[in-house]
Amino acid sequence: MRNHILRIFFALMAPTLVWAAPNPRLALPEFSALAQKATESVTITLDAALLTMAGRFLNGNDPQDAATKEILKGLQGIYVRSYTFDKDAAYQQSDIDAVRNQLSAPGWNRLVETRSRKSQANVDIYIMVANNQATGLALIASEPRQFTIVNIVGAIDLDKLHKLEGQFGVPKLDIDAPKAPTPSIKK
Amino acid sequence: MPFAGNSLTLNEAPPGFSDEQLAKARAGDTAALASLIQAHQRSVYSLALRLLGSRELAEDLTQEVFMQLNGNLKSIASNTHLLFWLRKVTSNRAIDQLRRRSRIEMTPLDNEILFTSGADGSDPLLQRHLQQLLLELSPPARAVLLLRYQEDLDPVDIAQTLEMPINTVKSHLKRSLEILRQRTPDPERSRCEDKSI
Amino acid sequence: MSEDLESQLRAALTPVAPRAEFTQRLIARVTADKGTEPNARGIRRRSPRATAWWLSASMAASLLIAVGVQHYRQERREAERGLEARREVIEALRMTSQKLNLAYEVIKDQSSLPAEDKPGV
Repeated sequence: MRNHILRIFFALMAPTLVWAAPNPRLALPEFSALAQKATESVTITLDAALLTMAGRFLNGNDPQDAATKEILKGLQGIYVRSYTFDKDAAYQQSDIDAVRNQLSAPGWNRLVETRSRKSQANVDIYIMVANNQATGLALIASEPRQFTIVNIVGAIDLDKLHKLEGQFGVPKLDIDAPKAPTPSIKK
Repeated sequence: MPFAGNSLTLNEAPPGFSDEQLAKARAGDTAALASLIQAHQRSVYSLALRLLGSRELAEDLTQEVFMQLNGNLKSIASNTHLLFWLRKVTSNRAIDQLRRRSRIEMTPLDNEILFTSGADGSDPLLQRHLQQLLLELSPPARAVLLLRYQEDLDPVDIAQTLEMPINTVKSHLKRSLEILRQRTPDPERSRCEDKSI
Repeated sequence: MSEDLESQLRAALTPVAPRAEFTQRLIARVTADKGTEPNARGIRRRSPRATAWWLSASMAASLLIAVGVQHYRQERREAERGLEARREVIEALRMTSQKLNLAYEVIKDQSSLPAEDKPGV
């Protein structure tokens, strides 16, 4: 009888347990109201199929394309929302909270959190790790007249991301295991 | 104007081929059809030969033209129409062929074809030279010159035959004659306008 | 001079006859070609078998052309989508690297500040 009850309990709990598995894909809002106010908006939604298609059109002989192709290996999705405004404080932090709240779910680790009084730029970088491998990246950058959300799903090779320096102007970030809250910078 | 001698007056029906025979050919009379071919093959073949510069290609084109004529005889209203049709189809098909081929193998034209009798005082060597020069002109210019000096058509008729603007025809004639004049060795020749244009 | 040149041209371009054997062959072939003679209304008449063949050949050719055009359009659409996806990938990674760079600059600025001026991170 007890075993029977336990079996029923776990059967009912199973979906919940599945739902509790960390999902590196963020639910990004459309930001329709903000898009109307923005002078420039970028919406990029690339699932696995589109990434595969894009990969076919990347030229391996071109350094930038070749570096991009390397990055794409193991990725399942790239999602970007970016809005630029013509005046300060055109958006509220609360507008981004719906995304930020998702990053407090289990699985996400905050890698970098920067706040600059000088430029008033805030950048938060999160990594999702499974089996000692990054499975997702989320970046929220907010500046007075612009905010950008990037969500990359898949096996991100941080070394390759690091090697993008020079191709996209990525700086050398000494990103070790994603447990150190404050990274050190190599000069 | 057509020159004297053994030439054909090509703006008229060839001797021995009447409107009556044309009507018979249209009705399916094989003998009349054979007469039609006999009467017009020389003109068609010469046009093809001097446009294409190759006997083999000229024979092929001549055959194609008469085969096509055979299928369209019912639409030919008169001998004048027939002449127009033959010149038009021959010229346009030859020009199309020349456009399609980047380079046609020009087999040397046989001496008996190039040389004429010279009975009217013409210079055979000069004629050969002119025939060779003709082959160096662009296909449309070549066609204009042939229709003018072989078929004796005026520029309006040439324009209709080739579906070309009249000014283009006149321009081709003027430029082509200029080229021929410049490249024809005769120091005693002086430049003058072509009164026929 | 011009008249002399013109008369020389006319003489040079006197029509010439083809070879006799060609003429015979030509007449034989054209007069034998009765299968494509038009009827009284000027419509080209063919034998039923020839008509069926032409019809099949035309349909097959039309089908091939349609398939070919469709295939070309599909490939072209796919190429356009692929190139657009490539452009978006590069743009997304460029933006990512730009924001990473921004973070780097902030951190670099903060690390150069005296300890009491550094914000809590």
